[in-house]
Amino acid sequence: NIDPESLLPKLPSPEELKPFPTTCAAVFRGHEGRVRSISIDPWGYFLASGGDDGVVRIWELLTGRQLWSVKLSDEDAVDAVSWRPGKESTILAAAAGENIYLIVPFAILSPDVEQSSRDLLDTGWGYAASKPTATNGVTTKEPPARWSRPGIRLEDKGVLVQIAVRSSVKAISWHRKGEYFTTISPRGQSTAVAIHALSKHLTQLPFRRLKGLAQSAQFHPSKPIFFVATKNSIRSYDLAKQELVKILQPGAKWISSFDVHPGGDNLIVGTYDKRLLWHDLDLSTKPYKTLRYHQEAIRAVAFHQGGLPLFADASDDGSLQIFHGRVVQDLMENATIVPLKVLRGHQVKSRLGVMDVDWHPREPWCASAGADGTCRLWN
Amino acid sequence: MASNTKPPETKVQIRLSTRHLDLKFSEDPGAVLVPTSLRRLQLSRLVNSFLQTSTPLPFDFLINGQFLRSSIDDFLTQNGISAEITLNVEYTPALVPPVHVASFEHDDWVSGVDILSQGSPAGTWGASIPSGQERIVSSSYDGLIRVWDLSGNCLAVSAPPNNGSRISSLKCVNWLNDKTIVAAGMDSVVRVFDYDADARTITQSLELYNHKWPVENLAVHAPSDRILAASADTTISLFAAAAKDSPAAPDHLLPSSTTASNKRRKKSNDGKTVPSRGAHRTLTGHTSAVSEAIFKPGDATVAYSASRDHTLRTWDLTTANCVDMRTTAHPLLCLTALPTPNLLATGTSARHITLADPRADATQIAAMTLRGHMNAVVSLDQDPSSEYGLVSGSHDGTIRIWDVRSVKPGGAVGEGQVGESVYVIERDGAKMKSSGEGVKVFSVRWEAETGIVSCGEDKKVQINKGESR
Ligand SMILES: [Mg+2]
Repeated sequence: NIDPESLLPKLPSPEELKPFPTTCAAVFRGHEGRVRSISIDPWGYFLASGGDDGVVRIWELLTGRQLWSVKLSDEDAVDAVSWRPGKESTILAAAAGENIYLIVPFAILSPDVEQSSRDLLDTGWGYAASKPTATNGVTTKEPPARWSRPGIRLEDKGVLVQIAVRSSVKAISWHRKGEYFTTISPRGQSTAVAIHALSKHLTQLPFRRLKGLAQSAQFHPSKPIFFVATKNSIRSYDLAKQELVKILQPGAKWISSFDVHPGGDNLIVGTYDKRLLWHDLDLSTKPYKTLRYHQEAIRAVAFHQGGLPLFADASDDGSLQIFHGRVVQDLMENATIVPLKVLRGHQVKSRLGVMDVDWHPREPWCASAGADGTCRLWN
Repeated sequence: MASNTKPPETKVQIRLSTRHLDLKFSEDPGAVLVPTSLRRLQLSRLVNSFLQTSTPLPFDFLINGQFLRSSIDDFLTQNGISAEITLNVEYTPALVPPVHVASFEHDDWVSGVDILSQGSPAGTWGASIPSGQERIVSSSYDGLIRVWDLSGNCLAVSAPPNNGSRISSLKCVNWLNDKTIVAAGMDSVVRVFDYDADARTITQSLELYNHKWPVENLAVHAPSDRILAASADTTISLFAAAAKDSPAAPDHLLPSSTTASNKRRKKSNDGKTVPSRGAHRTLTGHTSAVSEAIFKPGDATVAYSASRDHTLRTWDLTTANCVDMRTTAHPLLCLTALPTPNLLATGTSARHITLADPRADATQIAAMTLRGHMNAVVSLDQDPSSEYGLVSGSHDGTIRIWDVRSVKPGGAVGEGQVGESVYVIERDGAKMKSSGEGVKVFSVRWEAETGIVSCGEDKKVQINKGESR
């Protein structure tokens, strides 16, 4: 009589997998209403947050001190914030309603960092005018987006570019080189997925028709591949050949978010139906592992991008779950996944809990955004 | 055994010793037989009788790295030690429990403090500071520097800098001498100020540019007129505190260097100009924010630094070369030196203090690990009355006092010996909090006359002092 469990390889204990976040190290208080989105800057000094109050805030990560803020909208929530990759310049992208804003928060920057950041945004002015889209007398359609200066009140704060799209933006994600970023407007139909080129002030709509409601999109960390999640599936596209590569079927009723492992061959998917799924792109279009740890919807998932084998999810049950996830290059060996820690502290408000999670670029620290109006740093 | 029978008095042989040279016995009494019922107080009397002191001093006693806080009998029972063997008992001047003396209210979070007194470094470098004339300088997130007397009167406040509408929040402040203050913070500029005690003014005299991300900490050495600045941009600067000794400021860092910045600066120009200068040396090598850099005690041509890149480094300031590097497991947030045991103490984001031997031939990464804080350890200073004492400030809202002799073996691999704090001081009117919300301590300084001066998120400078003996 052999216990089948004993034949399985033994998972390492959490104690052997240190370091990982275990404790709340700072609380960031200031937003009125829910905090919808957070992002830690490439240096790991600042936390940016956006919320239902229409305000973007920048905080000192280690102390929780608010350093900077701007009100982007009186009507719309700030649904997404994301720092541009790269340490030489500091640009924050934020979305409120149908507008995306590119921000150089000069008040917290030295003059040379301010200048190099401004230069990146300024090169694109006039590009559209110099490249007339109407040729041979064909009437041009309405452009997919309008890039403009947002007006003196915002420009005086360092909000330097406003990109008006046709439908409300819910997610922003940068390409690692910082030239392109993608935005998702779930209700936008043919304009649901947009790719924006920073230096040209140019917006493209790569998909005429997208089957299903778009949820999230990500660039592959090293190859010209682009992932798009709709309600039930995640498609990967070859940007160079302009063709569909793969359709992943997590078996979810409603995908909320996903993230790509820095190696590029693995994906985690969070769902409103309380599940977290790990996909190995080499194995199958079905999930390699299904993790059910939460009582309520999962709203956000994130891989550590700085070399630590960690990932996290954020749930409406008010908690975050931290996992060890080691990817082995050997094709014969599958990823090791170990649940490490449940982080509690956020309060559930109107059945909403933790709305977003992001990792520090190097350290085993993560930050979370809560429906309770706070952000938290965990280390 | 009948309960009313009093057991015969147990006795134990003890051998008394101290590491304080001025407190050694002139004649070694050898092993002394004492009842195990003795406690600290009786042992203290015994030491005083051997010392033949005119006014008795209170002593504390260390046995096997632990302070005696009970009778010897209880100590032996708790530690499973037989009364048959001779105990080595180390005596040391007793640390008097520090009590809350005063709190000075600010308008905003207080990031840094420093003490000017006869015993503080700045006090020894400038004019003599008479007792009762001690001064405290504080730096705040509101961008202002304030000088206080010990009664809590704010004697002088600086004016906000004209930095082109940048953030002016300060992170650190130091007395260079009784007339000069150095401060820096989030706008990356190090500023030198003249403090005029009679006119009650703090006037900016020099701006020092070399950093493009915030300056986290400063160290000063008045005899050579030098300033060390530790920056989040991964570098350390060696500046001179006077304009005439300094090279020109790098153009690209000046607020007038770019169109947008210059426009804002002119708009708010108050007509006053302050000379701007650059650094003598830039120390490069750290790969993440430098949290603190200090001069080596007794040799200001050498510096030590602690960084969020997990390393402790030793620098030759003459050549600007990194001559030694120790890699630890965690981001390092502050640094102080203990010259006599020759140790560097560094606070970590992982809630402990690591003590390392900076000498090149030391093999262990950590000689000691001090545990007890519930959040990041962000400031450290030495006990002015003991070469083995330390004070730490943490985001958990406490200040802790440590004695590096009070340690036990048996930490995790690489941790060395492990110690616990001797005293814990909370913020006045607030309890310790592991999340630090509202109570984070940002800076702590300890000086004999003034006591322990700390500051933090509660917008207060707090003074704690042992009641006079
Ligand atoms: Mg995010």
